[in-house]
Amino acid sequence: MKDGGSTAAVAATPADPARLVPWSRSVPATLGLYFTFIRLAFLKFLAYRLRYYTGVVSYTVFVTGHYYIYRALFASTVAEPGQPVLIGGLTLPEMITYVAVGWIGRSFYFNNIARELSRMIQEGEIAMNLIKPFHLQTVMMFEVVGEAAFRLLMFTLPIVIVIVPVFDVMAPPRPDLYGWTFLSFLLALVIYSQWNFLIGCLAFYLKNIQGVLRAQMVSMDFLTGVILPFSMFPGWFQTVTAWLPFQGISYIPVTIYLGKRTGPDLYQAIGIQLAWAVGLFIAGRLLYRYSVSKVIVQGG
Amino acid sequence: MEPIIQVRDLTRDYRLTHKREGVAGGLVDLIRPRRRVLRAVDNVSFSIDPGEMVGYIGANGAGKSTTIKMLTGILTPTAGTVRVGGLVPWSDRLQYTRHIGAVFGQRTQLWWDLAVVESFRLLKKIYEVSDDVYARQMGVFNDLLGIDEFLHQPVRKLSLGQRMRCDLAAALLHQPRILFLDEPTIGLDVVAKENVRVFLREIRDLQGVTVILTTHDLGDIEQLCRRVIIIDKGKVHFDGDLEDLRVRVGRRVRLSLELREGISSDRLVGLTAGLPVSWEANEGKLHLAEFRREEVSGADVIKAVVNAFPVSDLHLAEPAIEEIVRDIYRASGKGQA
Repeated sequence: MKDGGSTAAVAATPADPARLVPWSRSVPATLGLYFTFIRLAFLKFLAYRLRYYTGVVSYTVFVTGHYYIYRALFASTVAEPGQPVLIGGLTLPEMITYVAVGWIGRSFYFNNIARELSRMIQEGEIAMNLIKPFHLQTVMMFEVVGEAAFRLLMFTLPIVIVIVPVFDVMAPPRPDLYGWTFLSFLLALVIYSQWNFLIGCLAFYLKNIQGVLRAQMVSMDFLTGVILPFSMFPGWFQTVTAWLPFQGISYIPVTIYLGKRTGPDLYQAIGIQLAWAVGLFIAGRLLYRYSVSKVIVQGG
Repeated sequence: MEPIIQVRDLTRDYRLTHKREGVAGGLVDLIRPRRRVLRAVDNVSFSIDPGEMVGYIGANGAGKSTTIKMLTGILTPTAGTVRVGGLVPWSDRLQYTRHIGAVFGQRTQLWWDLAVVESFRLLKKIYEVSDDVYARQMGVFNDLLGIDEFLHQPVRKLSLGQRMRCDLAAALLHQPRILFLDEPTIGLDVVAKENVRVFLREIRDLQGVTVILTTHDLGDIEQLCRRVIIIDKGKVHFDGDLEDLRVRVGRRVRLSLELREGISSDRLVGLTAGLPVSWEANEGKLHLAEFRREEVSGADVIKAVVNAFPVSDLHLAEPAIEEIVRDIYRASGKGQA
């Protein structure tokens, strides 16, 4: 997708019949194209919206389960005299809020593009994308945006309406943190989808990628901090996660929401997310390009 | 005229793993896999002028699809060069794909879950097709393919014939300079096949697009292409006019006879003893003779038979192109041995 200054229309009968005329897509046309991909993805998921109603139930069940586990855990822990019970540096209401916001966020950023991309590679469908003048990675990213817009409206919102009053989810300490949290979850969406794109590219090299996909899905929820806050893990684990992109998917946005990051810490956290988003995007572009040039696209 | 497509010494290898048999073999495979290199396309060279419609034919696994994949930029060759209109398909992909259209018979480029018209609108955006051109092209497609009737159905609900018509339209919407068709009539019934062929003829005359067509339905070739390239085991065996191909193999003619009474074919062989005619050994009323038109005229053969036996029916036929191709393969097989 080159952002050329002007639109060079392709003439039907060119001056030299043996030459192909150079061509570039104008900036408005590029934006229009991407908006179309967002819109189409939104429509596609809207057509399958029924399956998300069950998702609202299962997410609520997850949060309910965690709610009772943490209540029992906090009730059985003895605090310093005069102090509230703290586990992993969080009070019980904070812990419940951590879990709820984590799952609410997951309902927004989650997508299946690793599976989708690996399917396209293994069934050879990727060929149909290689003969079109666009970058598949960029297209998939905007489809993810469309999917996320759909999820926000049809999935995240219902979950918020159910979970927030039922479990007394706390508001952030300052109202501006709503905005920061949302920004942070947007970056989480980019990190999550670009990581998934990289994983999907492994299908160029592996005959059977199902195991990898399943393993990464399970370990992701751990490494992002959705299942447990990092502060409950041993120190070495926290050091490792600090160097991985996954903290930017859930742990960072949720701790922003809880007001655990303020001032320079907040900017630094957003900066880390931004760096990972850009870094993973570039890595995905390079790996995809290399893979396409080296590896045989399977099937007809 | 300067050619639009130039292919030189194009070669593509695939690496295959050979599995050993049994459990022990499987374990050995883990440590030392047996690999073999398969040369799918072997030093292929040809060039195609703007506006030509070329049939690229060969049996399954002959290397047709591999060549097309390299020409469309999906696959990088092991060796050799391809230049299309000054571009290298696999390295100038974004520039190049703007100018080509492709239909792969077994796949669709339409968006599966969307109504057909949504796919066309998206393609319009992808290729920056102006409103005028879009309206004009859609008009042409509707006249020739009648796609309006299912424009608002989701692609997954279309029949194979309908889907193929849509795919053809989708490949041509942006007025590509080169159109690649990989088995465009595969799996279609007779009527649908005919529709596709008529459309391709019209579009060739109307829009002057350069077409490369792979198929193993030689009916496609006979009706559409003047020039054919025959490929077998990765090598080009013939490149030239369809007519030349017929001449090269010789104008074999087949005469089928139905006699009033059953006889042995030996007696027919005796009748045409002086002529270069071969009879299929047979007893009964039906007999089959083959000869070359340049060596003997059909009339002489028929005269010889009719004078001796009462004939109830007879039929003279030129060989189908399929047989010609089979002959080419056979000849080249002998050449190698």
